[in-house]
Amino acid sequence: MIIQRNYSPSALPKGTDVAELTSRIIGPLTLLIERSGIDQDNGQGLRVHLDWIQYKTSFRDPVVVRRAVDQQEQPLPLAEISIDLRQAATPSFNEYLTNAVEVLKGNPPSNGHAPFVLDTFKPWRDSIIWPFNRLFWQQLGDWEAYAKRGFEAALPSGGSDANHPEAVKEGVVEFWDLLHDLEKRGNLPHDIYAMEIGVGSGARARLWLDQFQVYDAEKASGYYPRLKFLLGDYSPSTLDTALAAVGPHAPLCSVIPIDATNPFKVLSFLRFKILYVHLTNVYDNLTFDEIARRDNKLYIVEVRPYVSAAAADRIKAEFGFSTAELPGAIKRLLAYGPESVGEHETGMAFWTRIWEVLRLEERLRAIDEGDESHLPKGVSRSPLDDVLSEVPHDIRFHLSRGAAESFVNTAALLHPRGYLQVQDIFVTSIKEYVHGFRGPGKLDGSFVTWVNGAFLHAVGARAGYHVNFAPFTHRKGSKTQILYTKRRD
Amino acid sequence: MTSLPPLPTTVIGSYSMPAWLERAKNDFLQRKVSRHDLDEMYDSARKAAVKDQEVAGIDIISDGELHRDNMIDYFAERIPGVQVDHGSKRLYDDFYESVVRSKLATGSLGLLDEARFLRRFSQRASKISISGPHALVKRIRNDFYPSEEAFALDLARVMNFEVRELVREGVTHLQIDEPYYSGFPEDLPWAITAVNALVDGISAHVTLHICYGNRYGKPSFEGTYRYLFPRVLDAHVQALSLEFARRGEDDLQLFKEFKVPFTLAMGVVDVKTHDVESAGLIADRVRRALNVIPVEKLMINPDCGLVHLPREVAFNKLSAMAEGARMVREGLK
Repeated sequence: MIIQRNYSPSALPKGTDVAELTSRIIGPLTLLIERSGIDQDNGQGLRVHLDWIQYKTSFRDPVVVRRAVDQQEQPLPLAEISIDLRQAATPSFNEYLTNAVEVLKGNPPSNGHAPFVLDTFKPWRDSIIWPFNRLFWQQLGDWEAYAKRGFEAALPSGGSDANHPEAVKEGVVEFWDLLHDLEKRGNLPHDIYAMEIGVGSGARARLWLDQFQVYDAEKASGYYPRLKFLLGDYSPSTLDTALAAVGPHAPLCSVIPIDATNPFKVLSFLRFKILYVHLTNVYDNLTFDEIARRDNKLYIVEVRPYVSAAAADRIKAEFGFSTAELPGAIKRLLAYGPESVGEHETGMAFWTRIWEVLRLEERLRAIDEGDESHLPKGVSRSPLDDVLSEVPHDIRFHLSRGAAESFVNTAALLHPRGYLQVQDIFVTSIKEYVHGFRGPGKLDGSFVTWVNGAFLHAVGARAGYHVNFAPFTHRKGSKTQILYTKRRD
Repeated sequence: MTSLPPLPTTVIGSYSMPAWLERAKNDFLQRKVSRHDLDEMYDSARKAAVKDQEVAGIDIISDGELHRDNMIDYFAERIPGVQVDHGSKRLYDDFYESVVRSKLATGSLGLLDEARFLRRFSQRASKISISGPHALVKRIRNDFYPSEEAFALDLARVMNFEVRELVREGVTHLQIDEPYYSGFPEDLPWAITAVNALVDGISAHVTLHICYGNRYGKPSFEGTYRYLFPRVLDAHVQALSLEFARRGEDDLQLFKEFKVPFTLAMGVVDVKTHDVESAGLIADRVRRALNVIPVEKLMINPDCGLVHLPREVAFNKLSAMAEGARMVREGLK
């Protein structure tokens, strides 16, 4: 049995007695395993991962079992038990431990109540969380009304760092400096293209345009009237809101319904023309996968949604859906919205409840040498190889595929002197994955997961950009960082 | 010398870099692949590049330059007197940290081997591309010469020896690549002087290739070619290779405005997109150029090297280019 500590003691709350906590878990677990009759070979290969999951709610039960399969879904000896130390105080924690060992042996849970499985195993990118995520953003107003609070209130800071006036002013000055330098060299294009992707309410765009207009007037440079500001978002109704928000700047703005992972698709006519692109809190909501390396072999993490037997019982009592009817009801919810499962209030209650109890079982599926289906579109295997070469040992990390695709397909639009700025929660060194769980965690009806900045750094290098990160310093305690690009020579 | 048709087609130099060769180059830098094995891979890749160009119907071919890491390091490593920090890069197409701290000496730059390779494996007309003094000066740190101009002129002196050897070896087509002119137009007076020093005393068809950059498949600069004129007319070359496919053809007017003695090696294939132009589109581009340039003063090539394109795309683009040129030639009869 190999025990892997996936947290940094310094990240735990003050006063946490780590030694006491882990010994309280490892002792009984060792006892259970020794007495379980698990054969020695499998017992030796068993890995026990001790995580500290900082999210209030996630897709994990306190104890989960992960098995490994090959590409043909045949079982492999590798197996893991993953324990969320944060949930160790849960009253039924020992029952979770016992069940985990039973599951490892191939037995049903000791209490006889198997969880109710809703779908098959799929990589994260294809999992059920994405239709939930889509529904949330499509029907955000309904969710907020039902929850009686705006979604930004769910953020750890209670609001978005994107709209900080000083940060926006800094960005405006930086952009003006670029324009000025281009002008001095006689290279400033007549049309000055700038773009924000994921405009949300339009508040940041408005602030940026206000400040740019003022700064341009102060400098008497005449750039503002030449500005072509593109507001990009996948939701037409969001774009309407954002366009209204920019108010007097609207004549300079164009709204572009856009897939954040591929802006080039609709904007190819602006290839090498856009001087500035900004995104805030977009990358953390784009598709991702997780890759695990165990004994120098790569696995992709696959997940399968389930609800516990107890949760299924509660749902039956509350909404009348039997377990057999549950998958169909969820399917209708995700396809047609809450009204498809009952009156609006009932539908909303069902939506919030099912999201609350949704859990994801995990397994590791081997990636064969030469298989490249896990790679983001338009990205070769080299950046992943680069990242892996930095950590020789076992590791599990995000493959931020949506972010990587977005980066590559946005960079293709940039003017030779143009740049991209992304404000988000980045893991800037691959080694950080060894010391902490980085999501996904639930955030209202959506979820949040950290973005693998180290991978983006490698993707950027192959695409001709230095990618650097700087902490957002305008709000104390902010976890967001800003990704900056600079052309490589 | 192989006789060439009207509107001869050629390449700028580099051919599609296979992903496996990229990996091998990077592995070589990390000492995971031996020099011997890498050279064998180069040999195979270059033969394939030659064959692809022949099959595509290109009249003047290159060896694909697949053994070159990039346009700077290949020369920086070979020019005697340039010191290269071999630990300074992880990715093959990055640039080494290189510096000149004393007067350059003369010595082989390895280009004769390229010429012999081409003659051994193809009967086609071929050309050798050389990074120009201006490009090298912009990337190799100068800790010795009093000015960039002095450094460039001495580089040209050293490289002239190699170029003379190439011509003695029977090389008929040479190309000088200068992708940084467009970012530093103020350097043009001494940069052209350096080109003239480089080609001094040689009797070959020399093309001066001036693009807007192609690092990572992206332009390094934007603007118009107007800055080149009239200074570039002083260059002692036979052809000027300029990109028109990606940037549009407005700058063709410069050839009307100025009395240009050179052949135009016209870029008609956009190397920064994977979309393959049709032969008809290429023929249209060539025909529009013929409204300005006499047929005997026009050559056809891509905008720049094909190194960043997938092999199938590169091959299809060259095939379309050759077919487009053929369609125009048919109309000339």
